[in-house]
Amino acid sequence: MHNPSPLCSRRHFLHTGSFGLSGLALATLLRDEKLLAAPVKPLLGGETFDLKPKLAPAPGKAKAMISLFMMGGPSQMDLFDPKPMLTKYHGEKFPGELIYDNVAEASAKVFGSPWNFVKSGQCGMELSELLPNLQQIADDITLIRSMKSGVSNHLQGMLAMQTGKGTVGRPTVGSWLAYALGSETQNLPAYVVLAHPSGLPTFQHQHWTNGWLPSAYQGTLVRAKEPYILNLDPPEALAGKPQSRQMDLLRTLNEGHASEHPGEHDLRARIASYELAGRMQLAAKEALDISSEPKHILSLYGVDNPVTADYGRRCLIARRLIERGVRYVQVLNNGQSWDHHGALIKNLPDRCAESDRPSSALVLDLKQRGLLDSTIVHWGGEMGRLPVLQNDAGRDKWGRDHNTHGFSQWIAGGGFKGGLVHGETDEWGHHAIKDVVNHYDWHATLLHCFGFDHTKLGFIRNAATLTLTDGQNARIVRELLA
Amino acid sequence: MVLHPPNLRAILSAAGLFACKAPLLHAAVVPQEPVYETQVRPILKTHCTHCHGEEEKPGGGIDLRLRRFLDAHTKDGEPLLVPGKPAEGELMRVIREGEMPKKGKKLSPEEVAILENWIRAGAKSTEIEPEKLPPGPFITEQDRKFWAFQPVKNHPVPQFPDATGLSPVDALVREKLKTQGLDFAPEASRPELLRRLALDLTGIPPTPEEVAAFVADKKPSAYANQVERLLASKAYGERWARHWLDVAGYADSNGYADTDSVRPHAWRYRDYVIRSLNADKPWDRFIQEQLAGDELTSVSHGKLGDAVQDAAKFDALAATGFLRQAPDGSGDAVADANLAKNQNIADTLRIVSTSLLGLTVACAQCHDHRYDPITQVDYYRFRAIFDPALDWRKWRTPSQRLVSLYSPEDKQKAADIEKQAQEIDAEAKRMEKAFLDGIFEKKILEIPEGERDAYRQARATEKTKRTPEQAALIKKYPSALASFNLNLYDPKADKQVQEKRSEATKLRATKPQEGLLTVITEVAGDIPKSQLHHRGDHEQLKEEVTPGELSVLQGPELLKPEPTLPTTGRRLAYARWLTSGKHPLVARVLMNRVWLHHFGRGIVSSAGDFGKLGEMPTHPELLDYLAGKFVASGWSLKTMHREMVLSRTYRQSSHHDLSVSKDPENIWYGRFKIRRLDAEAVRDSMLHSAGILNSEMFGPPITAGRTTEGRIVAGVEILNVNGDVVKVDTTNPAVNRRSIYLQMRRKMPMTVLDTFDLPVMDPNCESRASSTVAPQALFLLNDDFVVQSGRALAERVRKENPGDARAQVRSAWRLTQGREPLPTDEDRFLILLSEQTEQLREYAAKHPPAKDAPAADPQRDAFGSLCQSLLSSNRFLYIE
Repeated sequence: MHNPSPLCSRRHFLHTGSFGLSGLALATLLRDEKLLAAPVKPLLGGETFDLKPKLAPAPGKAKAMISLFMMGGPSQMDLFDPKPMLTKYHGEKFPGELIYDNVAEASAKVFGSPWNFVKSGQCGMELSELLPNLQQIADDITLIRSMKSGVSNHLQGMLAMQTGKGTVGRPTVGSWLAYALGSETQNLPAYVVLAHPSGLPTFQHQHWTNGWLPSAYQGTLVRAKEPYILNLDPPEALAGKPQSRQMDLLRTLNEGHASEHPGEHDLRARIASYELAGRMQLAAKEALDISSEPKHILSLYGVDNPVTADYGRRCLIARRLIERGVRYVQVLNNGQSWDHHGALIKNLPDRCAESDRPSSALVLDLKQRGLLDSTIVHWGGEMGRLPVLQNDAGRDKWGRDHNTHGFSQWIAGGGFKGGLVHGETDEWGHHAIKDVVNHYDWHATLLHCFGFDHTKLGFIRNAATLTLTDGQNARIVRELLA
Repeated sequence: MVLHPPNLRAILSAAGLFACKAPLLHAAVVPQEPVYETQVRPILKTHCTHCHGEEEKPGGGIDLRLRRFLDAHTKDGEPLLVPGKPAEGELMRVIREGEMPKKGKKLSPEEVAILENWIRAGAKSTEIEPEKLPPGPFITEQDRKFWAFQPVKNHPVPQFPDATGLSPVDALVREKLKTQGLDFAPEASRPELLRRLALDLTGIPPTPEEVAAFVADKKPSAYANQVERLLASKAYGERWARHWLDVAGYADSNGYADTDSVRPHAWRYRDYVIRSLNADKPWDRFIQEQLAGDELTSVSHGKLGDAVQDAAKFDALAATGFLRQAPDGSGDAVADANLAKNQNIADTLRIVSTSLLGLTVACAQCHDHRYDPITQVDYYRFRAIFDPALDWRKWRTPSQRLVSLYSPEDKQKAADIEKQAQEIDAEAKRMEKAFLDGIFEKKILEIPEGERDAYRQARATEKTKRTPEQAALIKKYPSALASFNLNLYDPKADKQVQEKRSEATKLRATKPQEGLLTVITEVAGDIPKSQLHHRGDHEQLKEEVTPGELSVLQGPELLKPEPTLPTTGRRLAYARWLTSGKHPLVARVLMNRVWLHHFGRGIVSSAGDFGKLGEMPTHPELLDYLAGKFVASGWSLKTMHREMVLSRTYRQSSHHDLSVSKDPENIWYGRFKIRRLDAEAVRDSMLHSAGILNSEMFGPPITAGRTTEGRIVAGVEILNVNGDVVKVDTTNPAVNRRSIYLQMRRKMPMTVLDTFDLPVMDPNCESRASSTVAPQALFLLNDDFVVQSGRALAERVRKENPGDARAQVRSAWRLTQGREPLPTDEDRFLILLSEQTEQLREYAAKHPPAKDAPAADPQRDAFGSLCQSLLSSNRFLYIE
């Protein structure tokens, strides 16, 4: 195996030209299928990576994905996974083994959920009263109650869920999809990350890193305030007319220079690259601007309500990006706002109030536009929480510590089976015990939905073919699929 | 919505991008009577002999390595081929029916047609085949005849009655030009020529004063004097070191492992390269030092500490950093440490072979090379040269291979300070324990009285020695334990402990600065057994091999190390052979790369592959001339620069319509081909023209920081208490040093450089790409680096021409466009400037600056915004 280090080029998120080959993902697949016709040259130079749309080897239902990533670890026994045992033994000593993250506030007392669960939809899925909007779309979602990553902390958990393993440096799911499938639009980045207005998430670029994939497949961060995308817009003072004057001068200079060099096409290509940059500026602005959305859509997402306005706006932007051909959008929360070590009874309802309506609206909206079949919506974090309380210093201080052995997430669209509850945790909601879905099983299933075999979609590095699931005994969880 | 600029292929070819894409066989022409040795055998070698002849036991008993073997029959008695009848015979049947090759791709229709035509014409061979053939691959006479393996020859220099006094370079170029119906373009204008030369030799444009002086210099030696001035400038070494660092795979991080840990002492090798080039160190010495500086100075591992104190030996030892450039995960947490070590060795060999041999030797790591006559045994013989220094069974991780540059006095001083610091650490630990014990005394009151004594005992017991009952008791009341995590119980107390600890840190900082050098050495008398790795797997060791050069280059005899050396001497013997002047590849490969940098295209356009899949040289006689001259000059690179840049070929104008239309890619050099500046030259030139380039030389790199917007810039990351970056401090003027002094982390490339095709060192870079993509346009328009450079340029021209707007514009033009503006340019600029100033003034009035921000300067910013356009213009970004 040769290392693809050819002409040593880094590629950027958008290409003007159809440079070179269609990328190693495809090449690797084709090699498997024995379809490559020309001799495979030693990769000394020339292999380049682009974002042109590519076909999956098998037809996959899913074409795009929106990940509503809930950093911090939403409490499964308070939201998705009702546990009467907790209520029954509330306040008593927990009988099993526990591993704490915060020993100073650790306690072994069982913490029964303060909230009721409601049988929802035709399917009768039990969901917390904190999620009234999700209850409305119960028949459209697949709820997994047996997620497991088994790794220890926030960063490792996030990396496991996003990159396949709990170690830094690996590519995120969005990078894999951009690498494998390219983008349906060349005017927008293939992989977009929508950050919370308070700033970047806890682990900053780790959330959208391309790892060892070429930098073309890195997520493009869209901040919630100016500048939305790095270098997309001029510095504020130069926006509009002042930049036109800069362009005006530049155009005059470049045209004059090019006319002195007739036939030197690169000069023309560079002049044209400004036009493409201009189109990108327009396309990105247009996609991020929700003012043209009708009132009923804005209120569907809760943009008209201060509590839901931010998250609603970003969910709506996610839909607009997918509509315009973006492959993968990740919507981030504020820091790790689901990390309720304390004051859970006050804070958990607040987090739900912010996100419940917009998340559900996104599914409904995609459905009514006929986009849900080809778009996977994922809602979930990097871990769940313990059945015992943390900080036994009064009810308003109670929280729950980390738990990566059993947690919940939901998925809608893209070939997943609506109205399905999959897997179980033990009677305390502590360990996933039935139909366990490890993070790598989830990834294998995801790639399958996009038409890829997770063992074959690979990238050659250090003389080894690396994959998203990398040697973990991953299983496609077909039971989840329609 | 993909943009297709006209004739993109032409653009890319100029950058060498298509160099590696040409098919092995030109499909259109299938000869009627193919020649066995040159046309038939290569097909069989590519597709068949890997299993049928090169393995220990040929598949199905069929060996296809020689023509006469094809007269054999299969086990079932079928003839392999019937001369004259391509429709018959097993060989063609299995190919036609797709039965063979079993693995890998099938033969192309053209390849099948060649075989059929050859059989139809009688299946003849023209050369005598060896009588005996040991199992495995073999190297034929035909293989040895390949141009790149032939000795460098002296070719006659053509004479032209209509052009006398041409240098050999020009005569050899003109000869080919004539065959294309072309001739040289006229000489470039003086401003163009000096700008080209300065950017080429130093990576920064000339100052307007230098241009003016050159234009005014009427002496015949004017141009030659400029060449000498630039070759003697320190910036020359900074520029040309970068080219060598690309092929050496230089980086300030270890790569391989996902963390891409920092390699903090790599810069001493970088500085060695700069110093060597500036001194015009002969390249035979330069190569010997890099491959075997330790053996050149008779230093074995045990003597290293003293040797680095010896100024006469220091450079040669620093040079061995060359063999420490490859990505290396062995010091990081990786899944398989032995794999990481072996990968580092493989990458090191890849760097050595592509940089000096121009061959893809690495392809023979797992199996015989499919196209070039390089066997797997060859690969492991080549590896055996390096085995004593890179022994994966007695490996030294990156931190273990550093040698301290401390003098004996410094060492003692540091040890004394360390002792005091450790005492402070111990005190901090005592404080922490006292606080935790105090907390525990309160916490224990929260648990039932009856369990307190038992709990106290459990806590006092070491964790691993606790009884199950004790463990259960602690589990029952986990928060009472208070044995660690003081910060969670009592942040104030924790702060006191941390303050104590920081006293130790501060004290340690007063140690004399310890320099460390990365070197490669051998342990005297320690000679590992070198073995072939089956399929490249270090866990499947096969026959023992002896060190040696590739068979096709040297034949089977051993290298002859000097017996007096304390170490094996293998690398030194090899380095001496490489630089003997007799090696067919080294001088050619080096000269080809120098030509590539001067002219934008190599004589062999696949600079890292001189093998069968590489491109043939466009000017083989010229390449030989340069290689021969290089050796004859005593391996002086500066001599060779003169050969090239003084040539008429180099001094041609970039304007030449006939050449553009007949030879758009400029394969025949009928003009100077315009090309974009590379990444470092873009950044350095902007800083230089703006007057803010910091020209300090050498030393540790300027760190890379990741801003909250996602830019990676030169500066120091400022972290908050959680360790997140809150900003990158860029106030140190050192952030404006030349790009070669910026930290090159494999996974954190500076945005400005990354945007303009900075190579990924994985493990090295043979020749760079040059792309034209929209993010470059967005960068030039909007990135803070360009905005600030524009402002600095504006400030500079305003300061140098106070109160004279027209003079300011002219000055900005000279600094960025290398010429005077036309009056219309000037007028237009001033109109834009006044509009821009007016608008920015309005903006500033409406947007008062933030509390700590400096006051707005609309006039400066308006001028700066237009200077930004000058810095972004093609005339600035291209060499012509």
